[in-house]
This record gives sequence, structure tokens and C-alpha cells, in this order.
Amino acid sequence: MDFTLSNEQRSWQMAARKFADEEIRPISLERDSISTPRETWDWDIIKKGSKLGFRTMAVPKEWGGQGTDFVTQALVMTELAKADSAISKAFSQNWKWSHLISASCTEEQKQRFLPGFVADDTWVLGKGITEPSAGSDNRMPMDDPKTGIKLRGERKGDEWILNGEKAFIANAPIGKLFFIDVRTDMAVPPKQGTTLFLVPSDTPGFRIGKVFNKSGWRFYQNGEMIFENARVPHANVVGDVGGAIKKTGGSGGDTTGGDLFGDLELAANALGICDDACSTALKFAKTHKQGGQPLWAQQNVQLQIGKMSMLTEALRCFVMRVAWEHDMKIHSANAGLAMNYSGDVANEVTELYMEVRGADGCHMDHHTDKILRDAFIWNHLASDSVSRMKVAKRLAAA
Amino acid sequence: MYSLQLSPEQLEIRDTVRDFVTREIKPVALKADRLDQCDRTPLVDLIDQASQMGLRSLALSEDRGGAGADALTSCIVTEELAAGDADIAAVLSESSRLAHVLFDQCMNDAQRDAFLPKFLNGDRYHLAFAGREPDSDTRLGVKYHRPATTEVAVKTTAAKSGNDWVVNGVKDSVGNAPVAGLFAVLVQISGRPTPSVLLVPADAPGVGVRAENNPWAHGVCGEVMFKDCKVPAGNLLGDDAAAILTGAATPGRGVPLAQALNLGIGRAAYEAALDYAHLRVQGGRPLIEHQAIGTKLGEMAIKLEIARAAIWQAAWAFDHSEAVADRSLADLPLTTFAQVYTSEAVMKTTKDAAEVFGAMGVMRDMPLAKYIHDARVCMHSGDGNTDARLRVAEEIAGYRRADKTAMRLAGE
Repeated sequence: MDFTLSNEQRSWQMAARKFADEEIRPISLERDSISTPRETWDWDIIKKGSKLGFRTMAVPKEWGGQGTDFVTQALVMTELAKADSAISKAFSQNWKWSHLISASCTEEQKQRFLPGFVADDTWVLGKGITEPSAGSDNRMPMDDPKTGIKLRGERKGDEWILNGEKAFIANAPIGKLFFIDVRTDMAVPPKQGTTLFLVPSDTPGFRIGKVFNKSGWRFYQNGEMIFENARVPHANVVGDVGGAIKKTGGSGGDTTGGDLFGDLELAANALGICDDACSTALKFAKTHKQGGQPLWAQQNVQLQIGKMSMLTEALRCFVMRVAWEHDMKIHSANAGLAMNYSGDVANEVTELYMEVRGADGCHMDHHTDKILRDAFIWNHLASDSVSRMKVAKRLAAA
Repeated sequence: MYSLQLSPEQLEIRDTVRDFVTREIKPVALKADRLDQCDRTPLVDLIDQASQMGLRSLALSEDRGGAGADALTSCIVTEELAAGDADIAAVLSESSRLAHVLFDQCMNDAQRDAFLPKFLNGDRYHLAFAGREPDSDTRLGVKYHRPATTEVAVKTTAAKSGNDWVVNGVKDSVGNAPVAGLFAVLVQISGRPTPSVLLVPADAPGVGVRAENNPWAHGVCGEVMFKDCKVPAGNLLGDDAAAILTGAATPGRGVPLAQALNLGIGRAAYEAALDYAHLRVQGGRPLIEHQAIGTKLGEMAIKLEIARAAIWQAAWAFDHSEAVADRSLADLPLTTFAQVYTSEAVMKTTKDAAEVFGAMGVMRDMPLAKYIHDARVCMHSGDGNTDARLRVAEEIAGYRRADKTAMRLAGE
């Protein structure tokens, strides 16, 4: 057991901390309070972070990226999320899909998309899975061909014609390239009839609909995608026709794209929120007084902050272990369990923080409210029953 | 005899208000822009309509023009209103509560003659208690089980000048302030050992009201400033008014209106989730047929019903002091018990209900995100549950403190 970070890992962590302190935290609350969902995004912070490597750090060195390991990625996500969970996610969403490009795309596809992605500070990636009538159904596909994804793809010569829509898709409103799950065979179960496509944002017949008005993670945009006879070349099929679910880790396979990085990503990001809550709580308890004494003097406050820190450090151990396992190519249900756990911990820690601030509404502030709302995002995508059952299935399959 | 059998009148008013909420409040309150926290302007027209139904004067005695509702009935109505809109419920329940306390309990005939007709004739004439002051600390916290080292003083003063009282000071977070026709103001009169209460009409010279846009309070609140504000000498309420209005007379045992409001929020979330669980099909079945969702809905139903039992028991105890006197019910701060249990139960319920909605549960323009925020506001009303537990502990330990009036400013 050696918990020492390498010089390179430490240096990424320090760079992320500096960027978070100097650039992200100063704009965090301002972006969160923008009421129009379409306007919360800030290209300046993305460009600044991109120049420091925070957009492309998961792209292998031979393709012009920084080729960082998972431990480094976890450290950076946590540091960025400590200043703003949504902005951290805005960067790491690109790593998630650059992992998928590395793992699943052909050399020709990499050649067509990776150099452009690496060179352009405003190129962000996304993936469309969820549809209005298929949320949980896509996350836990069933055998009934009538269930699951409805977005249809029909082959016409060298092209596929896509019709249908996606909902809640991260980065949809601002992304340049998307992975899209498409039903290419409605007669067989979704697991066999779904194909993964690379869809550039300027694809004819493809457009973005509404931008969702989330209560948390406001910077990080989710939007509707509408496909009306959208034409995508056959060369943009990722892997085999009918093989989408195998490519994204939905089967629990040994792939670092999709689920496996995604689980670590959510856990590491939640850890940042918890770090933020713990350090702010401690500062608050030491500087605010009641009856002439700092709040810290009270047993209840000590117990609350002690518990917040206990949960946060336990989550850190879990996150770092999963990151290390990924680097060692040891794949288990641990990443999923860490993700489930991170939702529980982020909610409990931010709620304890709310309690430390004193119940009186006048002590509630924008920052406290924001991290509570951000932490609640985990309840529908990381610590909800479907996420837990998905992970439980991996336990059973192991 | 301890009985929670509702009277025909109680059942009828529950149905009437529920129907009003379904037909009139929900279609407006659940509109996307209204749900968005950025716009929580009070729904004045609906509050007017509710006033015309008698809900503003619900607890005022019948012979003075009200409906004479007891604590239990008031709680039932508040829960129903809050299931539609917590802000509407907060405004109306505060006016109704104060109408009973002020007109039935605290005012003399001359004071009633001066103010009651205005209250009865104006749907927009609300009542407010201006007790809290900026920077006043009502928390028990560090003072738990210790004699208070410093008296919590009321800084707003009233001084006699001829036939008038001259009031100076500032109050904040005053519920109903922007819509109040009449303020009951907690003041310190020089030479008196405890604070007193003065009636100050909102249009008296020297009164300034600034609406506070505080997303962490329900209803409408505001800062109220008194600058050489003059009111007639006869506006001073009797000596016991301060203890009644601050809750010091019945510590932890007041009418559990805030808890009923909190419960209404939880019920709205639960009912929305239950409806949706029937409609939404995933995994080949309606959500309700899945164990994972069924268990959550079951837990919500259990928690809400136990919360309701705690609220109703506290209300019943308030209405029947004889039941406490003959030891049918424990002499305990049952309203505080209801506060702690309800706020935590509803917090959990709103979050679980949101999960049933998946991604729609985190959207700001959908109901669930609002219910969660509303539940958090309740967790943060008064001095919160950490403090509430300490107050209970002091009471069961038999600890008595002298400065109760001041300590109770936040009320429950």
C-alpha cells in the first residue's frame, strides 16, 4: 500500500487547485445565478482551462493530448469541483468521451475527429442516450423490442437517416461532436438493435431544442436534440452496427469509456463538493460566534463537522482506490459502488453543512444553497435506485 | 376524551379548501415561471379569494366575525393550502393566527373598535407580528443548560410623549410585513422589566416597510422601520401580550401551523410522485409496480401520516388543556416534537418523490425542485432542529431559565 502521489500527479493537482481558486471560484456563484439556462455557459473559463490541458487531458499523448492516468483525472476533477461542481463536470465530460474515442473508434475516425478536438479550445463533446420515453429503460435495457430507444436509423446507401429525439443531453447546446445511440433494428431487443454513431453538430437535419432549467449544476447545460431526416455517413458508425451497448460499458465489460469512467467521474466530483463543504464549515464555525464564543466551541458543531469530514475522507479513499484500480486495469463493481456512495455522502455532507450554518434562514447563503442543489443532482443519476441496481447487477455478474 | 374524530364542519372545510386548491391555486402555482424560484411574487388575487372564503379570519371567534376555528381546524386548513402553495398558506395562517390572538385575547374593547372593522372589511388587510430584530440571536446553542450571561434585549423602544407612544427601531424578517394593515410591535418601554406590545397601523406616520426578497422564508416578509412613529397611548396591549405573541407563554406548545404548512409541502410532493408512478412506464411496468419505487412511496406515506399524527396531537393538546392537566397527554413540547419529526420526514419525502421523476425531479420549472426547496426552508425556519432538540432536552431535564420571553422570539 502506497498512497504517495507521483510528482506528475501532484503537479496536476496543484495546477487544478490554482485554476480552481483563481479562475473558477470567482465566477461560480455569478454563473449559477443566471436565470436563463441557455446563458449560464462561459466560454472564457473553458478556453482558459483548455489551454492548461483540462479539456484534453484524457486524450493519449500520441494524439496530442496529455495522456493522464485515472488517479490524476480523479485528483483534478475533485480540485475543480471544490470550486464549482458544474464547471468541473463541463471539463471532465470531454474526458469521458475522449476515453470512448480512444477505446472504440477506428484509426480513420480518430484521424478525422481527435486532431480537431485537441486543437480547438471551444470543441466540447457529448453523448445522447436518454429520450423522453426512455430514461431508466436505456440505463437498464430490457429484452422487449418495443422498449428503450426510439430514435431510428435507416440505412440509405452510404448514409444513415436518423429520426427522433434525445432529452437531457449534457453539452447538447454547445457541443461540436456527439456520440448518439440509435435504434437500427426495431425488431430485436435494444441490446442487439442499437448502434452508436458519431454525429457532428453541423449534421444536416440535426438541431438542438430547449435547454433544461436544472436546479443544480446550472453552468453545465443539458438540452434536447432533434433529428429530422438527419444524414450521417456510414463511416461514422462506432464499432459494429447493433453493437452500441457493448461499446459504452453498459454490459459491464472491461472498457474505460462510458460507465466506468463515468462512475469514477461522479464520485470524484462529489468529493470536491464535500471538500468545499468541510472547509467552508470549519471556517464558518471558527469565525462565527454565538454568545461570545465561536460556534466551534459547541459539541453539536464539533460532531457535525466531524461527521462531515469522516464521510468525506471515506469517500476520498474509495475514489482514489477506484482510480488506482482503473490504472491497474482491475475492473470490478467498485466504481459503481463508489458512485452510489458519493451521492449519499454529498447529500449528507451538504445537509450537515446547512445545519452547521445554523438553521436561521438569515445565515443561509447563495453558496450553501448552490452546493445543496448541486449535490442533489446525484440523486437522479448516481444514487437513485436504478443506478444502484445497475451496480448490483455487476456484482452478480462478477 | 382524546379524540381525533373530525366534526362534520372540520371535514367540510377540509374538502372546501382542498377543492379551492385544486381548482384555483394549483393551476396558477404550478406554472413553470411561478415554480422557478426567481419569481415568487405573492399570488395576491388568490389570497383575496381565500380571504373571501373566510380563511384570513379563520381562527377569529365567531361572535367577532370569524369562523372560530380551533388549532386542529387551523392546521387542517393550513396543510391543504400549503399542498397548493406554501406562500399563500403562510400569509393566511399568520393573519388568521394573529386575528385570534390579537382580537380575541389581547385587545380591549376600545382597541377592537378601532381595528376590527378595518380587518373584517379589507381582504388585503393582513396582520403581522414585528418581533425579530436585525442581529438578534434567538438560538439556544451555546446557552444550552447554562444561565444566560447576557439578557437578549429588545432594542426597539417606545417612549411616552403626551398622549402618544413614540416608537423607534428596526424589525426584520417580519412575516406578512409588506401586506400588513396592522403591526403588533414588540417594544421595550423604559423602566419595565419585560418587553411590551404596541399596535401600530401600517399607515401610521414614521412607519417604513421594505419587502425582503428572501428565498429562505415562506409567505412575504419584510423589514419594518419605525422612526419617531407616533401612535395613541391606547394602542398598548396588556402585560401578557408579549408572552402570548412570542410563544413564551406556551413554549414548544403553540399551534403547530408551521408544521402543518411543512406537511402540506410533503403531501404535494408525495401525491405528485404517486400520480406519476401510476402513469410512467419503465422496465415494462408502471413505476409503482417496481419494488424500488413502491418501497419509497410506502415510506413517504408512513412518514407523512406519522407527521400528521404528531401535528394533530399537538393541536389537540393546544385545544384541550384539560387533557394535559389530567395527564391524558404528556406535558411536553409536542409542537417542537412535531417540528423536528415533520421537517425531517418532509425533507426525505420531497427528495424521494423527486427521484421518482428522474431528471424531471431536478428541473427548476417543475414542481419537485420547488418542493425540495420549500422543505429546506422549513428545516431552516425558527432556530432549526439542532436547537429544537436542545430545547426539548432542557425541558425534560427540568431546566428553567429566566429570560424565556427573549429566548422565544423566533417562535416555533
